[in-house]
Amino acid sequence: MIDPELLGAHRQELRRGTVVLACLLALRTPGYGYGLLKTLETAGIPSDANTIYPLLRRLEERGLLSSEWNTEDTRPRKFYRTSPTGVAMASQLLDDMTELAASLQTLNGGDTR
Amino acid sequence: MTTLTERYLVAALQGIPERQRGDVERELSSSIADAVEDRVAAGEERAGAETAVLEGLGDPARLAAGITGRPAYLIGPDLFFEYQRVLISPILLAVPIVGVVRAAIEVGNDAGLGDALLQGLGAAITVGVHLFFWVTLMFVIAERTGSGRFGDADLRKLMGGWSVERLPEPPSLARVGLGDTVGEVFTLLLTVAGLLVLRGFSSFTDDSGAVITILNPTFQETWVPVLIAVLGLLVILRMVIFRIGRWTLPLASVHAALEVAFSGPLIVLALTGSLINPAFAREVGWPPLADGNGVVMLGIVVGVVLVTAWEIFDGFRRARHP
Repeated sequence: MIDPELLGAHRQELRRGTVVLACLLALRTPGYGYGLLKTLETAGIPSDANTIYPLLRRLEERGLLSSEWNTEDTRPRKFYRTSPTGVAMASQLLDDMTELAASLQTLNGGDTR
Repeated sequence: MTTLTERYLVAALQGIPERQRGDVERELSSSIADAVEDRVAAGEERAGAETAVLEGLGDPARLAAGITGRPAYLIGPDLFFEYQRVLISPILLAVPIVGVVRAAIEVGNDAGLGDALLQGLGAAITVGVHLFFWVTLMFVIAERTGSGRFGDADLRKLMGGWSVERLPEPPSLARVGLGDTVGEVFTLLLTVAGLLVLRGFSSFTDDSGAVITILNPTFQETWVPVLIAVLGLLVILRMVIFRIGRWTLPLASVHAALEVAFSGPLIVLALTGSLINPAFAREVGWPPLADGNGVVMLGIVVGVVLVTAWEIFDGFRRARHP
């Protein structure tokens, strides 16, 4: 019997690093904060608003995202788009992620998918 | 009436630097509005939806800290162990020394023993609190200026960072650590305090009203200052030994000389009956107390000889140890 609290904590730990990758991948198509939350949720990578909003700003500061205010909609929204550097990094991180998954499968004794 | 969202924004923006405020405010308010609209479209009541969204965002101070990247802790894991190292040794060293010195000064000023102990305790606590506060403040600043967070190796070294040189030596009798030094210095200062207490402490007065001291007046006036000076030299020696890190034969020789300089006068004075005030011995109703051939003085002599011999032997024994 797995303690659900312990499982939750480890799951969160495991997902923490993937949120950045998910944002960089999703924002290759420009998006705004709340829209991104929904996109991630639909994609099966749910995250919290209070994690995503600060994260978007940090990624922008590091030059991985660029932003632009769009005032044509019903209300002004800040749209983020993954920068060329961000795209390159996302592809690198995705390769690492795939490799990691494969390595874990090998450790598990099964065949890599 | 201000809405909950407006109040939330005000609280969150307090933690945001001026130049980012407008941008953060616009983005945050449109994000909150988006989320509320979404819930309302799904059939929720507006007020309930607003509350749910804001509660989902959580403490505005925490959100602001996330946006600005400010740490939500005083001292983080990067600096914690340096902090611990820098904090603990000065406190262990300074607090007892300051306490004893202060108490001794008060006794020297003829304050009562209880008063002196209270003053000493007060001084010790003050020094401890000050050290704790200033060292902590220094590390909190280091943490916030960012140098600590990004693992700036130089800063960490400055703060007493770890390197292989810091690995503890295998235990050896010759090596002298902080603990030994603090213990020895503490004992020496306690002896000084003891001498000062004996000098000023007596409840008897003679017919003319003058205080009858416990210690023989000649001993008190001439020898007590000398003995305290020797004890002071012993304190300095202990610190030198600590600096060097181990006992050596020259240090053990100096130590032996100082021990003899302390015990020699004490033994001679005890054997000639010049240690205790004869008048005091008469007052307590036991004249042999001050007698050089009495059992008390002989006991003192035997005790002093044994302790001194052990101390001298111990110094050389440690010096010869690898």
